[in-house]
Amino acid sequence: MNAPVAPLPYSPAKSGEGPIRKVGVVGAGVMGAGIAAHVANAGVPVVLLDIVPGGAAKAVERMLRADPAPFMGKAPARLVQTGDLDGGGLQLLADCDWIVEAIIERPDAKRDLYARLEDVRKPGSIVSSNTSTIPLAALTQGLGEKFARDFLITHFFNPPRYMRLLELVRGPATRADALDAIAAFGDRRLGKTIVHCKDTPGFIANRIGGLWMQSAINHAVDLRLTVEEADAVMGKPIGVPKTGVFGLLDLVGIDLMPHVAASMKAALPATDMYVVGMREHALIARMIAEGRTGRKGGKGGFYNREKGSGGESLKRAVDLWTGDYRDSTKARLDSLEIGSKDLRKLAEHPDRGGQYARAVLLDTLGYAASLVPEIADSPADVDAAMRLGYNWRWGPFELMDRLGPGWLAGALREAGRPVPALLETAGDRPFYRVQDGRRQVLGTDGEYRDIPRPDGVLLLSDVKLRSQPLAKNGSASLWDIGDGIACLEFHSKMNALDPDILGLLGKAVAMGKKGAFRALVVHNEADNFSVGANIGLALFAANIGAWGEIEGMIEGGQKAMRTMRDAPFPVVGAPAGMALGGGCEILLHCDAVQAHAETYIGLVEVGVGLIPGWGGCAAMLQRWAEAPKAPRGPMPPVAKAFEMISTAQVAKSAAEAREMMLLRPTDGITMNRDRLLADAKAKALSMVEGHQPAEPKPLRLPGPTGMAALKMAVEQAARLGKATPHDMVVCEHLAETLCGGERADHIADTTEDQVRKLEVKSFMALLKTEGTLARVEHMLETGRPLRN
Amino acid sequence: MTDVVIAAYRRSPFHFAGKGDLAGVRPDEMAAQVVRALVEATGVDPATVEDLVLGCAFPEGEQGLNMAKLVAFLSGMAEGTAGVTVNRFCGSSMQSVHQAAGAIRMGAGDAFVCAGVESMSRVPMMGFNPMPHPGLAKEFPQAYISMGETAENVARLHQVTRRDQEQFAARSHQKATAAQEAGKLAEEIVPIAGPKGKTVERDGCIRPETTAEGLASLKPAFRQDGTVTAGTSSPLTDGAAAVLVCTAEYAKAHGLEPLAKVKSIAVAGCGPEVMGMGPVGASQKALSRAGISARDLDVVELNEAFSSQALACMRELGIDEAKVNLDGGAIALGHPLGATGARITGKAAALLKREGGRYALATQCIGGGQGIATVLEAVR
Repeated sequence: MNAPVAPLPYSPAKSGEGPIRKVGVVGAGVMGAGIAAHVANAGVPVVLLDIVPGGAAKAVERMLRADPAPFMGKAPARLVQTGDLDGGGLQLLADCDWIVEAIIERPDAKRDLYARLEDVRKPGSIVSSNTSTIPLAALTQGLGEKFARDFLITHFFNPPRYMRLLELVRGPATRADALDAIAAFGDRRLGKTIVHCKDTPGFIANRIGGLWMQSAINHAVDLRLTVEEADAVMGKPIGVPKTGVFGLLDLVGIDLMPHVAASMKAALPATDMYVVGMREHALIARMIAEGRTGRKGGKGGFYNREKGSGGESLKRAVDLWTGDYRDSTKARLDSLEIGSKDLRKLAEHPDRGGQYARAVLLDTLGYAASLVPEIADSPADVDAAMRLGYNWRWGPFELMDRLGPGWLAGALREAGRPVPALLETAGDRPFYRVQDGRRQVLGTDGEYRDIPRPDGVLLLSDVKLRSQPLAKNGSASLWDIGDGIACLEFHSKMNALDPDILGLLGKAVAMGKKGAFRALVVHNEADNFSVGANIGLALFAANIGAWGEIEGMIEGGQKAMRTMRDAPFPVVGAPAGMALGGGCEILLHCDAVQAHAETYIGLVEVGVGLIPGWGGCAAMLQRWAEAPKAPRGPMPPVAKAFEMISTAQVAKSAAEAREMMLLRPTDGITMNRDRLLADAKAKALSMVEGHQPAEPKPLRLPGPTGMAALKMAVEQAARLGKATPHDMVVCEHLAETLCGGERADHIADTTEDQVRKLEVKSFMALLKTEGTLARVEHMLETGRPLRN
Repeated sequence: MTDVVIAAYRRSPFHFAGKGDLAGVRPDEMAAQVVRALVEATGVDPATVEDLVLGCAFPEGEQGLNMAKLVAFLSGMAEGTAGVTVNRFCGSSMQSVHQAAGAIRMGAGDAFVCAGVESMSRVPMMGFNPMPHPGLAKEFPQAYISMGETAENVARLHQVTRRDQEQFAARSHQKATAAQEAGKLAEEIVPIAGPKGKTVERDGCIRPETTAEGLASLKPAFRQDGTVTAGTSSPLTDGAAAVLVCTAEYAKAHGLEPLAKVKSIAVAGCGPEVMGMGPVGASQKALSRAGISARDLDVVELNEAFSSQALACMRELGIDEAKVNLDGGAIALGHPLGATGARITGKAAALLKREGGRYALATQCIGGGQGIATVLEAVR
């Protein structure tokens, strides 16, 4: 198998590739500033202008403090140049290849700005609008052919760093190469999934999402649900994020509702379901008048936090009938119990939760089905837009498949509503099917077609549809992803690492040694790469005093990590989401890592009163000892590793993980999650030739002097109330491990094996303390760390 | 016996470590610019300078090797001028003055540049590799006690209230602000050329808006239940200072008008857990050696490592605050460890001349448990 080696994947460190080397953003509101920050995250210089003097600079300041952070690290913020639109700032756009307009949603204001841009922008540059509702035709009116050729709509979702959807709308005059350039930049550099939309009001996601919100409010009021009940029905069973609808309104701002409704009303025909369903709710008007517009206003929204008499924080919620706050109560409905697994059972349930689900689903899914092909060519585009733009777990057509398209058509008919043509076409057939290992979607012509993947995208879920695993057990599988590369997938609950995963890792290495593949990628498509070792197993063993078994588990983990690192073929970790504890230790033992930009890596064991036991301590010492910019001497690597591990620091992006040495400078970062596996595979292929397993270098560790120095630091933290009594116990063991133990001396070598033995010793000693057991139990029960 | 005089004094602007304007300037470079300016201002032939005595509290990294000799090269001193780096922590560059004074009295030289520098941005407090003696750390942990903890101890033992500390800190800022606005600080400051061609001319730590009420909102910096805050502590600072120490005859021969003469010097140990009280023993010894009492002092420069220790020392020594730190102290100006001794000795000498008194005292506490003091007398 000698496949051509793919070119090295994109890394944000490399800028200046492709036709878009510099970007301008006009309008430093939440969206404009967030788009600018994300362009900077991609390593591309960006100019940010605002009409308010100093507004752009203030926006950058604000973003540096914001949580969740729009910037992926400190370096990107330095790529943003700010200016005033009227203070000569316009001139800063002269060398921009792409100018994004994100100003007020008024066509005249936008057109005025475009006219001014025509005087400064360079030939061939592209202009786009981030409008969420205004049709493209209205924006280009009167601006001439040249402008129209260079213009399109690029609709980002809030917050731009985290929301993966980018809707693109081209006009009849838009240059194909301009559209391609933005699509490629949006996909590869900004990491977005591109969904091509028709030039219709609200495009895809806001059209359907707006109607869904409106329907969810109307029916909640009509059916007399509490906001908690409405949000609970929308949440887990229907797959909307757990904010539901009212929590979402609090998040985006309740005062936004009338504006969105007005602009949709202006753009849509009066017969459109969206317009027909519009209502003015007295409650919402009152809340807006009273400034109760949601989380941003500080006066609460549908939910509110109030201080109790004892200063405790009380969760309150609006009574949809009186408009006053009352104590928040958990939703308890039969339909929720029954319907959380079976959507149709929920929609058929007679209680108000079931009636609510049915009403909102009929509205929303019926509307979505009626809009293809008007707003999009394929149901798959609609589903992608709702999943990535509204974070729905399932898109409308996927929900229809869960209900059964035939059932839905029948329910619509029963309700005296028109059945959309597409639903009629589907009949009893699902919108999605798998044919010959390929996922297909039903078209408006009634034919199934393969769902196209953008060039270079490789998804493990696609591989899994068309092949059988090379090996498999209850927690992990090994797949052939082509060109002689294998992929080790975890699929335990939350991808917690257990003996099965370690077992398959060992088996995979043995298979690789026998030539079953040329390189291994460790990757999965779950939300999180791995949240760490299964501590429930450790607690169980501790409770029955099975210390020997626990020690065996730790040593077994260490052996698995070492075996993987010492394998004669390259092993590339390809994480996305959280990679914590043992998940982080796996990455630390890979020959290379190709991480999704949104990867959150950290050694968090102290949260459960333990220290990294699978070589994580040794690996972090090694990383910091080799760090080119760190001060020399025996203490800096120890101090750095100690600081990170003792405070359970988690990198908030792959870029930050690099700063923390959790990723090496040579490790890659992929912006688009859908491209992660392909990039990791390419990296693995590039390493096959002449691969040599990493040779661990001996460490120079300070021994007792370092332990004394770290003890002082911990005592200082304790005096400030930043370290709890059990923190001090954990830190003492961590310090001993990182310093190489009592006998280490910085003029002599300490081997990694010696540090690993100390890891086991410390881990076992801590697991026998009450404080650690209490932390483990608390974490298993509540999911939160105990501060004892 | 020949008189030892302070013939000239200069310093760099002082700026916050890490975020200040001098964070990007190497300490050896910063010290060299101050030394060069001092020598140029006096017009003396560098070849007549016996030794460059340079104080530094954490002499490693960019402050490592024998930084004094490197600063001599950088500042254009003569080949024949020697260089020694001195470490007595915060007392380092006052120790420079003491070494020069002792040498002069021994007949071992006529003129010395006594300087000090600390970049707390570029070399962290405790150094890059803190490696305490494990046995000592266990048996006598106060040997390595943190400075903040000592400030809390002093506040508790000497009953210095948080409010007193905050009012004192606010006064320090007020005095420094007034001096800065009146141009009194500019006289002693040598503008420092930064790495990006930017020249730094003014002090960066002074906060004119500081009030005792404002400081009252800060959280304790060292103990959860403590009284000492970042606002009543001297900040981590970058800076350099230098004085020319010479015989009275040398000064006269080179047309220099001395600021003051060195009357007596002293160092004294104390408990490391209350190191802030170090000035008491050292000052008492130095006053006694000068044959005067605290009442005879007209000007005092008492380093404000912390409000708590400065207030407690004044009380113990019976010093009137009206005579202390007339242009503000370290809480407002900053405390670059190795540079502070030269600053307060030079400042005390300059103030004695400006204010027209007879005796001045410069004194400071030193981490690890000691104090250092210098009594100056006006030259008539």
